Amino acid sequence: MKTGRFLTAALYLYGIAILVALYLPLLSVGFASISKSRYLSFPVRRYAFEWYGEALSSGTVADLVVTSLITAALVTLVSVVVGFFGALAFARYSWRYRKLFQKFVLLPIFFPQTVLGLALLMWFNAIGIVPSWKTAVVAHLVWITPITTLIIAIRAYSFDPALEEAARDMGCTTLQTLKEVTLPLLAPGIVSAGLFAFLLSWGNFPLSLFTTGADSTLPEWLYAKMVSGYSPLVPTVGMLSVFASALLLLIAIAIPFLINRARSTESA
Amino acid sequence: MSQNQPILRLAGLLKKFNGFTALDSVDLSVSEGEFLAIVGPSGSGKTTLIRLLVGMDEQTDGTIWLRDERLDTVPANERPTCMVFQSLALFPHRTVGQNIEFPLKIRKVDAARRKERALELLNLLRLPEHYYDRRINECSGGERQRIALARALAFDPEILFFDEPLSALDYRLRKTLEKELKDLHQRTGKTFIYITHSLEEAMVMSDRIAIMRKGQFEQIGPGEEIYARPQSRFVAEFMGEVNLFPARPGEGAHAFEGLAVDDKAAAQQGLIAAEGAYLMVRPEKVRVLEEGERADFTTAGTVHAGYLLGSRRQYEIERGDQKPLIIEIVQDGSPPLADGARVRLGFDAGDTHLVERD
Repeated sequence: MKTGRFLTAALYLYGIAILVALYLPLLSVGFASISKSRYLSFPVRRYAFEWYGEALSSGTVADLVVTSLITAALVTLVSVVVGFFGALAFARYSWRYRKLFQKFVLLPIFFPQTVLGLALLMWFNAIGIVPSWKTAVVAHLVWITPITTLIIAIRAYSFDPALEEAARDMGCTTLQTLKEVTLPLLAPGIVSAGLFAFLLSWGNFPLSLFTTGADSTLPEWLYAKMVSGYSPLVPTVGMLSVFASALLLLIAIAIPFLINRARSTESA
Repeated sequence: MSQNQPILRLAGLLKKFNGFTALDSVDLSVSEGEFLAIVGPSGSGKTTLIRLLVGMDEQTDGTIWLRDERLDTVPANERPTCMVFQSLALFPHRTVGQNIEFPLKIRKVDAARRKERALELLNLLRLPEHYYDRRINECSGGERQRIALARALAFDPEILFFDEPLSALDYRLRKTLEKELKDLHQRTGKTFIYITHSLEEAMVMSDRIAIMRKGQFEQIGPGEEIYARPQSRFVAEFMGEVNLFPARPGEGAHAFEGLAVDDKAAAQQGLIAAEGAYLMVRPEKVRVLEEGERADFTTAGTVHAGYLLGSRRQYEIERGDQKPLIIEIVQDGSPPLADGARVRLGFDAGDTHLVERD
């Protein structure tokens, strides 16, 4: 379809408006992180990068990063593995109550996270578990596993089950079928599910707030510092967190590209 | 072509799904090197049958024998058979070459030997060698068919199964591939078992046709035989346009609905109007009778509709409240029958066949 000049202009405008709405607020945090003055005001009179040095050398920040990182990594690993098998169960096998189970599994996404966090905290207390970052991992999993399951399931539904049957027909054991056919075909879904899991856990605040107990993740600390004891370290750490996410995203985008290249050199 | 020892033998093969009998205790014997087509409408059990044969499903009862060995107890991945799927099931994440080599890779054949075999198969299927490095999504429908076939041949199966692989293709390509497949069957000498709902496909390619209905084999035999001598009304109608006249046993030994009959000729051919039987005549065997011309069976009616079928012209002849008669006349330059014209029709006892049941 040929788009008219007016429509093209409208589409560009729309795109720009979206980008501005999404990224301009982030830009203000960026400015705040490199402003010399204690509170942000425009125009920024003097720039300084000293808070970046401060943030990178701070032991507190390092601890926070480690906690957040371990939490997110564990959440990613577990939610992707569980999501992978869950998605296969939905897409490949028909069993009683499958449809019902499918809906129940997705339900946690629709709970307000604060309510979910509160519910989990009360539950942990009831069964006598002291909240720490480990309980936060469980809380994140409750909310994130449905998402990874959904993402992988979409991919699993979109490929022909006959591919797996054909592999078996040509002599593959169950494990070989998984390795030669199922995994490579689900790989894009698995990578994006993992990415989602990591970023959602890395940036999660409401669930962490209720369930980390004495431990603290990056978003929690940012919030606490905002409420009391603000310093330009807050936007600086915030920006570093954004950079870390962006870096991860870039790596994730590069992975399929690198795999493809490796595969083509292997076959050559 | 057929030899004495059957390569495949089914005995009382039964498959039920939640009380529904998809396959009703079928027996079958397939000769070494045979091209057998299994034909039936959807829901007749042909897909169930092939899934049991390759091991994707387990039978409720009965046995499958490959020569002298039980096949049904062997898991799908250890059976020496291979199937070309309806969707072809080519791996989209692998190149053409990698697809063809797949069964060899699973068998741990070394890379050089694998490639050599893949190139041989590309040649056998008349695909250019540089296709080896192509991606599947860069290949056309017909090329994909050939690749799927090459992959199945790389497996080197005892029996090659086909689950309607040509059904998604356009008419001309299908015709070409049907002939290629038949040719390939002759060149490889392998046993082919081909499932289809298209009788035309089965007739073109196979040595024998097995017609399925409601989970059972209705009739098994060479195409010509099934076409000329169907055992039931179902087979007669399934094998193309046909005129069937129900027997009227109360009205005479050779009485069929709406036909004037020459009793002597009918008796000579053994056309007894038994209860539940039908007299069958194919549309091309019915003639338009001239004034005073005689035939063993005659009837009359009004020309209702004419359709051009290339070399022939088909007419529907209305006969009161009876089923319209279908006739086909070879186009020989004479003017077509006029719509609404009254015609007298006839055919001879030798061109008919008695169908004994529904």
